[in-house]
Amino acid sequence: MDAAPLPAALTPFRAVGRAVLGLLIQVGSVVLFAARGVLAMLKPPWFFGQFVRQLQTIGYFSLPVVGLTAVFTGAALALNIYTGGGRFNAEQIMPQIVALGITRELGPVLAALMLAGRVSAAIAAEIGAMRATEQIDAMQTLSTDPFHYLIAPRLAAALVTLPLLTMTADIIGVAGGWFVATKALAFNPTVYVRNTWDFLQSWDVVSGLIKAAVFGFIVALMGCYHGLNATGGARGVGRATTHAVVSAAILIFAADYLLTSLFTHR
Amino acid sequence: MAKQQWAEAGVGAAVLAAAAAFLIYSLSAGGSGGRAGGYDVSAKFGQVGSLAPGAGVRVAGVQIGTVTKITLDPKTFFAVVRFDLDPKVKLPSDSTAKITSDGLLGGAHVVIEPGSAADDIKSGGEIENTQGAVDLFGLIGQVLRPPAPAAGDAAPAAPASPAKAP
Repeated sequence: MDAAPLPAALTPFRAVGRAVLGLLIQVGSVVLFAARGVLAMLKPPWFFGQFVRQLQTIGYFSLPVVGLTAVFTGAALALNIYTGGGRFNAEQIMPQIVALGITRELGPVLAALMLAGRVSAAIAAEIGAMRATEQIDAMQTLSTDPFHYLIAPRLAAALVTLPLLTMTADIIGVAGGWFVATKALAFNPTVYVRNTWDFLQSWDVVSGLIKAAVFGFIVALMGCYHGLNATGGARGVGRATTHAVVSAAILIFAADYLLTSLFTHR
Repeated sequence: MAKQQWAEAGVGAAVLAAAAAFLIYSLSAGGSGGRAGGYDVSAKFGQVGSLAPGAGVRVAGVQIGTVTKITLDPKTFFAVVRFDLDPKVKLPSDSTAKITSDGLLGGAHVVIEPGSAADDIKSGGEIENTQGAVDLFGLIGQVLRPPAPAAGDAAPAAPASPAKAP
């Protein structure tokens, strides 16, 4: 209808409406983008060279960061749980709690956050720069779909590597806890390891790895989405990297809660 | 770029190696944790509770060895526990071995109370005086729900006390 003579009192409502619509548009376009990405992963023109290169940059080169995070987190967690357990004389269950905390929660989430900082930003910057220098338009002119050549290999690589990184983080995190427990808290090394093995169930580790796969997809998706939709030259690329990291981190935590509640209420 | 990537690749390999090393260690530690050099002593217990190989063996609170192996004697149904003890510590032959829990929820360790006999336990010997693990939760269960019909005359203190209280 004719919206011209709106009373001034309605302006706040218009602002709210615009914000809601903007949010819906944003969510919708991310979902559509994800669907196109998944389709591109499943449908033939596959670029295996790109995939292997992404495996290397996303996965292998993230190992140092993930390993360092895991060892320090495991060590700090061990000290904290020792203190907490000491309040009701249950210091001895520290190995079990550390193992559970690392495999179910901290291993996947911390690996994903480090990957969000390292990989989401890098992907957004790379693709954003390609967008800014019109390389992506050139690619489309040469009838190469950027979804097949750029997006799908990154999504697939992150999906595959984050569970592997998480597995490494799990082991190193438990090792960090073990190190502190045996060197600083006079735990018996063999008993610590044995308690951990006896206590852990395979589902503890597997649920963490399933989470990690989802987080990996989120990390690569946010990088690709914000990179490909970057506008406005160099400043746009900077904005895209920030948005990629922030949105990836938030989505990781949200997905973490949803998946955890799904897994624990089975 | 190439040089930096070599460094990263090296660190990545080191991380993987550290993870693999710990995994291998923990897998091997699942078997037996005994180091060679100590002397071997065994003891039979009626109940070992949560005692596991690798647990400490202590005299007066000081660790002098570890539990290396726990097996079940199929004839007597006693648990046979083998210890690896510090060769500097000679235990009198009438020493007592007890299984004590580390905490309410934790694992267990073995406490040896030295006796006063003149001869020592040799390598491969056995500690004959033992006291098995106490089933803490079983005890709690007995206190909370006492076997009432058997103890007819022993009137529990609980119903009597509220009468005096006011």
